[in-house]
Amino acid sequence: MAKRPPIGNRIRELREQHGNMSQAALAEAIGVTRQTVIAIEQGRYSPSLESAFRISRVFDVGLEDAFSWLEAQDS
Amino acid sequence: MSFREKTAWGMGLILILAGAWYFSKVVSVSTALGHTSPPDLRFFIGYVTLVVITSIIVNVMLAIMSGKEANAPADEREKAILDKAGHWAGYVLAVGAFGGLWHFGWLGDGNLMFHIVFGSLMLSQIAEYAFQIFLYRRGV
Repeated sequence: MAKRPPIGNRIRELREQHGNMSQAALAEAIGVTRQTVIAIEQGRYSPSLESAFRISRVFDVGLEDAFSWLEAQDS
Repeated sequence: MSFREKTAWGMGLILILAGAWYFSKVVSVSTALGHTSPPDLRFFIGYVTLVVITSIIVNVMLAIMSGKEANAPADEREKAILDKAGHWAGYVLAVGAFGGLWHFGWLGDGNLMFHIVFGSLMLSQIAEYAFQIFLYRRGV
């Protein structure tokens, strides 16, 4: 299995806080496919810096409120 | 499953079936001749026609079923998957091509070299779609 990137995120939580925004709606807002949003949420894909900023802007939070560095997986 | 993953499944299956058809012809002719069959343009054209026609049919069907998603350009994750799968498939082609050259140097059979190189080309395309599916499922 591909090694998971050491980056965590709170996207699912943020979506729920924003009126249960759907994955499709978030995907549309940041210009990626719904499958890519799913992969990001599940930690199977690290978004580009541009997409990370776009996600943060959609939820009106800072980058580090949406994403975090996972020390335990950084090896 | 995304439109591009469905496409990868469809194309992979088409190439496997078309490749199996092509090599079944090559093997049957080689068996009848008692030596490696020379490249036959009829089989080659048959293979290409089969791949092109079935690809069009499968891709049109998938596009109709996927709707708007089919027209969207590949996003950053999909581009990364396509790049990585293409890169890995290049190694499959290189190994096959060197295998063909090695066989030619060893056996001097140009027909066999043609079939090995053409088979490697087919295999690398199948491998590319297989790598894409793997990366879509396991992460890039």
